[in-house]
Amino acid sequence: MSTDCKKTTATDIPSTRRVSINDAAHMPLDYSTTPGGTLFSTTPGGTRIIYDRKFLLGCRSSPVAKTPPRGLPKIPGVTSPPSKDTDEKAHNGELPNNVTAPDGSNTGDDSQFEIDI
Amino acid sequence: MNNKFDALKDDDSGDHDQDQGSPKDGEKEKTEDEDQNIKKKSLSDVLQMVLPGAGEHPLQYNYTFWYSRRTPGRPASTQSYEQNIKQIGIFASVEQFWRFYSHMIRPGDLTGHSDFHLFKEGIKPMWEDDANKMGGKWIIRLRKGLASRCWENLILAMLGEQFMVGEEICGAVVSVRFQEDIISIWNKTAGDQATTARIRDTLRRVLNLPPNTIMEYKTHNDSIKAWEDFHGLVNPSGGL
Repeated sequence: MSTDCKKTTATDIPSTRRVSINDAAHMPLDYSTTPGGTLFSTTPGGTRIIYDRKFLLGCRSSPVAKTPPRGLPKIPGVTSPPSKDTDEKAHNGELPNNVTAPDGSNTGDDSQFEIDI
Repeated sequence: MNNKFDALKDDDSGDHDQDQGSPKDGEKEKTEDEDQNIKKKSLSDVLQMVLPGAGEHPLQYNYTFWYSRRTPGRPASTQSYEQNIKQIGIFASVEQFWRFYSHMIRPGDLTGHSDFHLFKEGIKPMWEDDANKMGGKWIIRLRKGLASRCWENLILAMLGEQFMVGEEICGAVVSVRFQEDIISIWNKTAGDQATTARIRDTLRRVLNLPPNTIMEYKTHNDSIKAWEDFHGLVNPSGGL
């Protein structure tokens, strides 16, 4: 699990630089770069907040992200254990999303599975 | 928003309401109505506007998680659809997203005929919403067992603004059905081919789909017509 998230401190969005795009060919191939250069977390015009998958997954382990949200509605089988008879069993409100996938299997693109449809 | 380049040029303001004309105007009116409803509630409700917490990573937009499940044995209708859909919550930051996500079941473990919807705050996951009515969706049908992983990849790409189509994305849906699961992503302007092509290409990339995966684009207008045909409804104005 990446820990990038914890190490990063919030900073202001860099000052805006305008880059005019008149042709699709001027757009960068890589979605994490911008025309005229790379600005992390920003896009042409400089205001889009971009995060890649690995970074987002890294934030999952921060303490804030683990506390239950306020006002979470209780929907049996969706936000709370499936049915009354399982209420007092091992689940204890723990839902499958909370059980992180096996180590190393959910960070980085190299671990992506092949879909066979 | 006519094309993505307009979107790029005007992006500086960070204002979500910069579109000229078309669906947005209607949406504004609706928002004002909703604002008035909010004013009827207590001030504390208004103060509960969702914002990123200190030190959290803000998202480009606030999003709302919804859940819906078809009531067994009752005929579907637009009204019952709206009644069956439940709001799970709104979030404004990456950390707040994980709070919700980690306390929700994975879509692959849902039972019955149910859906998770993740839409930008203010857009209802309904064809009729002003933001959606000119729009459409890319649909990918998945064999059982793939929904949880694909859904996670899809929504992470949406939250992280990987689609690069300006204001066009409305939301994403995962639909759990009897023999298959379906994921879809909705955008505002079905007629904007540059946008829909870009969404398709991004989907292939973020979902790691093999080149022969069938992806279908369906306009909400067609969805509405198909739904009306299926339910034997006749257009009141005498058409159809």
